[in-house]
Amino acid sequence: MKRYAVMVFLLVFVCAGLGLAQEKKFPVRDITNVVVWAAGGGTDVCNRIVSGEMAKLFKVNINVINKPGGVGGSIGMNDVYSRPHDGYTWAGVSESCVTAGVQGGWDKRMYVWDYFIVGGSPDVLSVTPNAPYKDLKELIEAAKAKPGSIRAGASASGSIHHLNLLALEKGSGAKFNYIPYPGSAPAQTAAMTGEVAVVVTSVAEQQQLIRAGKLRPLAMLTPQPFTMKDVGSIPSSFGPYPGLSTYLPIMQAIGFAVPAKVPENVKEAIAEVFKKVIASDTLKVWAEQNYYTLSGKTGKEAKEEFEKLESLFAWTLWELGAAEVNPETLKIPKP
Amino acid sequence: MFILQQIWDFYATVFHTALSIENILLLFGSVILGITFGALPGLTATLGVGLLTTLTYGFSTNAAMITLLGMYVGAVYGGSYGSICVNIPGTAAAAATAMDGYPLACKGEAGRALGLTTTASFIGTMVGMFFLALFAPLIAKLALQFTSFEFFFLAFFGIMISGGLTGQDLVYKGWIAGLIGLFLSTIGRDHLQFFPRFTFGLSELDGGLEVVPVLIGAFGIPQIIQVIRDQLSVGEAKKFQRVLPEFGIILRRIKTIIRSALIGVGIGAVPGIGEDIAAWVSYGTAKKASKHPEMFGKGAYEGVIASETANNACIGGAIIPLLTLGIPGSPPAVMLLGALMIHNVTPGPMISIENPHFIMEMTAILCLASFATFISGLLLAKQVVKVLRIPPPVFMPIVLVLCVIGSYSLGTKVFNLYLMVPIGILAYYMQSMGYPIAPLVIGVILGPMADENLRRALMVSQGSFLPFFTRPVALILFIIIVWMFISQTPFYKRFAGELRGKRFKGKMANPPTE
Repeated sequence: MKRYAVMVFLLVFVCAGLGLAQEKKFPVRDITNVVVWAAGGGTDVCNRIVSGEMAKLFKVNINVINKPGGVGGSIGMNDVYSRPHDGYTWAGVSESCVTAGVQGGWDKRMYVWDYFIVGGSPDVLSVTPNAPYKDLKELIEAAKAKPGSIRAGASASGSIHHLNLLALEKGSGAKFNYIPYPGSAPAQTAAMTGEVAVVVTSVAEQQQLIRAGKLRPLAMLTPQPFTMKDVGSIPSSFGPYPGLSTYLPIMQAIGFAVPAKVPENVKEAIAEVFKKVIASDTLKVWAEQNYYTLSGKTGKEAKEEFEKLESLFAWTLWELGAAEVNPETLKIPKP
Repeated sequence: MFILQQIWDFYATVFHTALSIENILLLFGSVILGITFGALPGLTATLGVGLLTTLTYGFSTNAAMITLLGMYVGAVYGGSYGSICVNIPGTAAAAATAMDGYPLACKGEAGRALGLTTTASFIGTMVGMFFLALFAPLIAKLALQFTSFEFFFLAFFGIMISGGLTGQDLVYKGWIAGLIGLFLSTIGRDHLQFFPRFTFGLSELDGGLEVVPVLIGAFGIPQIIQVIRDQLSVGEAKKFQRVLPEFGIILRRIKTIIRSALIGVGIGAVPGIGEDIAAWVSYGTAKKASKHPEMFGKGAYEGVIASETANNACIGGAIIPLLTLGIPGSPPAVMLLGALMIHNVTPGPMISIENPHFIMEMTAILCLASFATFISGLLLAKQVVKVLRIPPPVFMPIVLVLCVIGSYSLGTKVFNLYLMVPIGILAYYMQSMGYPIAPLVIGVILGPMADENLRRALMVSQGSFLPFFTRPVALILFIIIVWMFISQTPFYKRFAGELRGKRFKGKMANPPTE
């Protein structure tokens, strides 16, 4: 009788041990990555590439699905957050998701997530090829001489490219006549037709037009210059205007996130594989071909970047009158 | 020599693609799915292409494009089924088809009408493809002539033309309906500065009225009420035996077909506007050019042919700026752009350098898709007509359920139903007072474009209206709109009638139509 009891006890113990070991091992089943933007957008493509590579190392499937809609991707984010916080559901996000809060689609702060930032494409300022400005200095001087006379196009009010334009204005003292467009592509088209003289979008979005000579790049809105095939080096705007470093860079941050309550060991397992993938040649080649700068930030570093973006976007939108919810009620600090 | 090389290349690509069984299966599968999407209210070409984009991620680029273009061509064609059989266009692009398609069906000629649209769609797609293959760079230049000033006029033109064409007794009624649509489109946060307009604090209205529930509500509900109220039965398909139309009918209208196809390609190439305007402009032009304009709206073959040729020719046109400039020419082309990005093809001026064969491949796929649509269309049309044999008391409730599902499925929002029903009731009363519905829907579709571009244009010119008259393309559009407006007023008609009357000493028969 006693022997049986010992055996049962042992069995229970072994099972529990196995169970514990099981908990340590991640992942044991397929992962779902819910991209909060539509298929084919930058966030979607980026998440598909990274998930595909991570799936190979994890040896499970990572199913990428799209759940766009709401404001700032709020429908997808709410959906992921409402599922178990076990690390098996990720949210494919980008920097613009930080606007969901002030737009009334997300009632939490952005620190409830842990981020894995793949990177983004840096912003570049270009002009219509026959515009009289040879470099950034000439453009800024002309804009200062007659404030509001030069038309500058960028995607909608409060978008990342508009924020870049605003930061350039603040840092250089120039004032442009900002013309909003529904997206980067129409803004670029407007620059080609001459409806606007200046356009700010990302390098990835502009590269074809720059290389074909339909747009002429003046400066990068990042501290580093950028080398482009067929074009050469595009200088940084920080050279002539060092004051810009207070406001810029405002970089795209594309990647994925898991709820912060996911167990530490799971987050560590994801981070480990994520870093391996970011360092892999496949990703490097992909980034180069697609004009992306890889980041690879995780943990505290990544969270800080998103909190910075959150406060910047939230307060800018509020000042522009484009926000529904006062950032103060969400306790978002001022930038 | 270059052209011969192109043609050879084209045939080689077509046969290479068509030789694989998988490709053919994919092609027919997606085309038939597309036709179903087009025919069902609420499921549009844009939605279909968008849904398939995610599903085709794992496919090769070629296979994905076969699926997506098959869907696109099929859905644009399929919209005519609803228009002809039940007077509820499956897509906005097919609204003009209903003008003559439904009267034809009431006369018992639904089969012939479907046959005509099948052939017209086929020819339209082929013409669009032809232009894509040969004149892509040239047409891409045209797209760059359009700035906010021109876009405003174009959108306004689209609303006015559909208004001018559909008014049954008084042309003003069509315009009034168009302006009501334009007004409805201003609901929501404006796209330039996010100022909430007519939202009454409802966050559901922030994004504006969605087109699909408006489309379904405005076309579907009045039709359902009317059929049930009047115990109408759509002409039984007794007269109809064949779907393959007599070639005589097609040949005699070859001029209409070519004109409509050219209009379709041209409008498709202009970014941002798509199949719906193409169909209306082409319908209007056909009516103007016809010797019997009074037949239009009562079941003229030309009317069906004109709108269906144009909306399908639009596809080739819309792909041109997409591939050569990276600017999608129509809403479904926006989805195609996304799909291309997923497959690591960035469309734009460098595409012919980075992917030299890509435009040719797209052309070949478009060609195959139009053949597949033609074949599936002929096979399906025969079956679809049988739907009309179902007695209306059974059929209409089914249509109603489909309408509700169609509205709801878009974004799975119950709010869409709250939108659909009042708009449907409004549309029913408008219709019973003789106001046409199509301009209202076109107003809702094109309103944001008119509104946004007018305001952006004024931002660009810093408040000056002058550029509207100094830019050549804008001026031409302005003159066309003014002329269209004046030539449609009863005052002008009487005046012109009198003039003509004098010239022909009263023999000329053009009495005012009061």
